Amino acid sequence: MIDPRPEVIARRLAPVRRILAFSSAKGGVGKSVCSVLSALALRRAGRRVGLLDLDFQGASAHLLLGAELRFPEEQGGIRPLRARESVDFMSFAAFSRESAVPLRGGEVSEALLEMLAVTIWEPLDFLLLDMPPGIGDELLDVLRLLPSAEFVVVATPSALALQVVERLLALLEELRLPVRGLIENMARSGADGCVETETAGRGVAAAARRHRLPLLGSVPYLPEIEELLASPDPLRGALGQPFRGIARGLIGHGLEGVV
Amino acid sequence: MHEWALAEAVIATVERFRRENGGRPVLSVDLRFGELQNVDLEAFRAGLASGLGGLPYGPEIFRFLSEPAAFRCRACGRLWPLAEAPGIGEEEREAIHFLPESAHAYLRCPSCGSPDFELAAGRGVSIQSVELEGD
Repeated sequence: MIDPRPEVIARRLAPVRRILAFSSAKGGVGKSVCSVLSALALRRAGRRVGLLDLDFQGASAHLLLGAELRFPEEQGGIRPLRARESVDFMSFAAFSRESAVPLRGGEVSEALLEMLAVTIWEPLDFLLLDMPPGIGDELLDVLRLLPSAEFVVVATPSALALQVVERLLALLEELRLPVRGLIENMARSGADGCVETETAGRGVAAAARRHRLPLLGSVPYLPEIEELLASPDPLRGALGQPFRGIARGLIGHGLEGVV
Repeated sequence: MHEWALAEAVIATVERFRRENGGRPVLSVDLRFGELQNVDLEAFRAGLASGLGGLPYGPEIFRFLSEPAAFRCRACGRLWPLAEAPGIGEEEREAIHFLPESAHAYLRCPSCGSPDFELAAGRGVSIQSVELEGD
């Protein structure tokens, strides 16, 4: 028995110039917030952007993107939904709605394969993957099925989070995969936004230095984050500057002059 | 129709198989369609006809076989067919058609109510066999 789906994945993603997997081995560090706000910032920088929510069991990017959950249109395949600021968007939640989705590993892989095989992306400069936490099926499937994917690693200054994130970085280094940088989320520091917290040498910036990676941006801890995300323009105010910088950093890495 | 995307995947896979086997002519292809995905066979055949343009074989060499869907509960071991899945409405069927793993959002074991079940058979489209000239 031959599964025909893997054969067309490269063709489906041919209109996509770069695939960026927003990853972190640790949960709760803000991968979805960072991927969605990076998508919006890249759109405002004039780039064509799609976002694929691969956190099947905890899909939430649609909430942040203000995307109405409905069945995608069929036209030669299924067409991504159009979300806030014309970000093309696809999620398991388009099919499961707000139901819980109890999946085991093999089922996760089947679903990912199906979505990659039948989703017809328009030409994009960036397809951002909102990855689930962990170093499990989704990450391994991305490595297997999307060999051109680049990684953006999200961390918080928490020592616990950083320790787990460093394991992911070590794995990505071992596999010689391209990591475009780290994003520090929920930074507790002050004016310059990237002061290391706790003991010197243990913060996200220090981790970036240790791994010889750029710190793409430092997003401050904001108690009012929920209100900002629900506002018509989440990039206005305290979230704007860091994500504009993150977008510049991502664009600057290999896509100069391409719109 | 998203059947066209599936048909395109089948053609691409058969073509790779043909290339890897010295470009020998393709005599027949057996496709298996799982009941769960509920593929529209006419739409799929139209997708094949469109995608095969310019290739030295046509949709007539493709045989369609159906495979009933069966689920197995990991908690109590119950094996049950799709016809016994309660509470499946039109919306849910449509979701499962697009993405068969959506079944895990909507189905439960009819015996014990567990959401922990596997799809034992009849998921989606697969290629059962490809016969090339000289096989």
